[in-house]
Amino acid sequence: MQPSVSSDNIVVVKRMFLLERGNRFLETNAVIEARQLQKTYGQALAVKGIDFSVQRGECFGFLGPNGAGKTSTMKMIYGRTSISGGELYVLGFDAKRQMSQIKGRVGVVPQENNLDPELTVLENLILYGRYFGMIRQEAGERARARLDFLGLEDKAGALPHELSGGMKRRLIIARALLNDPEILILDEPTTGLDPRARHVVWQKLAELREAGSTLILTTHYMEEAARLCDRLVVMDHGQILARGEPTGLVEEVAGPYVLEINSSLLNGDHLVPDGLVRRRETVGGRTFLFNHDNGTLLDRFEGLKLRAGQYLARPTNLEDVFLILTGRSLEE
Amino acid sequence: MDVTLKGKAAPFSPPRGFFPRFDWRARRVWERDLVAWLKIYKTSLLLNFGEPFMNLVALGFGLGTYVASLENVSFAAYIAPGLLASTAMLGVSYDMAFSGFAKLHRDGVYDSILTGPVEVESIVGGEILWEISRSILYGSTFLTVIFLLGLIQSPLALLVSPLMVLPGIIFAAPALVVATLARVEDQLFYYFTLAITPMFMFSGIFFPVENLPPLARNLIWFTPLYHVVRLSRGLVLGRITPDLWTSLCWLLVVAVLQLPVLVYFMKRKLLS
Repeated sequence: MQPSVSSDNIVVVKRMFLLERGNRFLETNAVIEARQLQKTYGQALAVKGIDFSVQRGECFGFLGPNGAGKTSTMKMIYGRTSISGGELYVLGFDAKRQMSQIKGRVGVVPQENNLDPELTVLENLILYGRYFGMIRQEAGERARARLDFLGLEDKAGALPHELSGGMKRRLIIARALLNDPEILILDEPTTGLDPRARHVVWQKLAELREAGSTLILTTHYMEEAARLCDRLVVMDHGQILARGEPTGLVEEVAGPYVLEINSSLLNGDHLVPDGLVRRRETVGGRTFLFNHDNGTLLDRFEGLKLRAGQYLARPTNLEDVFLILTGRSLEE
Repeated sequence: MDVTLKGKAAPFSPPRGFFPRFDWRARRVWERDLVAWLKIYKTSLLLNFGEPFMNLVALGFGLGTYVASLENVSFAAYIAPGLLASTAMLGVSYDMAFSGFAKLHRDGVYDSILTGPVEVESIVGGEILWEISRSILYGSTFLTVIFLLGLIQSPLALLVSPLMVLPGIIFAAPALVVATLARVEDQLFYYFTLAITPMFMFSGIFFPVENLPPLARNLIWFTPLYHVVRLSRGLVLGRITPDLWTSLCWLLVVAVLQLPVLVYFMKRKLLS
């Protein structure tokens, strides 16, 4: 059984016509549209009026550090928290008024593993399926298919606390796929996992993406965003700082290469050649020299007799985008 | 559209709907509780049932031999229907407070249910249905035991089982409200020490409260267990008096009034 999403445009358009009156008709293929979306908690503004839209069939990422407003945005999308301002349409439904309709059509991998500790792996899935109105047999069949897909078929009778961190995460993904969601929302799907477990999760998400599912994920791992996302936004302090395709964004903001070098070695600006460096940032004793040609730049520092560890010449990545936009590093 | 909340403290305003829903989704929540309970039902029954049963044996048949009859029945026959009511109260209160606390604060069970197409009203409905089931189960089991001990004097006692619906609602609701308010599990014991234990002692289970000073008597009249005990005793001993209807109506009013309060606190905890 393929837990995928129909990307047939005709079906989409037909469905949009069939939605209840009062719904906005979406002319585009967007499954999510947010305009000036806000979230406040008491005095605190967690999301400060952001705009974005997600297209059917793409993987859309929210990259940012803890506290950037990613989770609040996700919770508004899947109807778990109220919207403080602005507009949000998910699958054509108004997220302010039609949360129930939205919740039946999306799959959610929340940040915390909220598995039911009193139920076995299989029961966790079956009883979750029952909340969607599935009969017991259908829920059982779907549950077993999802366990197979995520490589958990041997663990059907285990209790959640007997699973490893990576298995728990895969079980949550299995649960999120149970209702054949039109959108799969993943809030930090691999945070806290070891590299191997993380790769298994990435592999499964890549398979879903290949099958045409719409994925939305938040992450503070730039590698994850670069690997999985077709488009992404970079968030910090409740605002969107930049948006685009991962490679395009890196190219546009950071250029092709960066030379990291210990700041203490650069006594004064005169050592940094002007023409070669397009941008310079300093974070935590390390200076980042963004440039077009690391080789030529390194030659200029020949006099410093650099040892390994004192510098690093590498291509730029999303981490550098974040650094340039905020002046600080993403993972702290 | 309002984009006006900037910097203004927004007090929690619950989304529309203030009454629990007893729809098919509520029955799924009930089903989840049943599946979880079936794994531990022996322990659960023993724990919730053992204490009142020992009270009955020790007090009714031990102490009871030194006590003259009360209201023309033996001490054991007098306290048995009251202990029955207290079994329901204790079973429901402990389960709802502690499992509710775990589901709210530790395991995220309600959180996971809410990511499906289930609203808080249905979760509350399901939990209430489940505690009603427990209340009926405990009440009926205890009823069987006192029947076997020969302490039942009227076939009206069969009505005690359906009566247990009311303590199911009335004791589940405040226990879950307390669970939403507690920040650490130990705080739940305030509720048991300050509310449940006094009710257990002073609701006419062991002695007629009619002989207490007027102030105490009036205070007790407003507590729910007192009325459950009166109804239970009236049915078990076959002594139906008109004021039992007052007790029944009072319990119905309390049950209905508590439910929106519970929904409010659950929404405040889960949706804010």
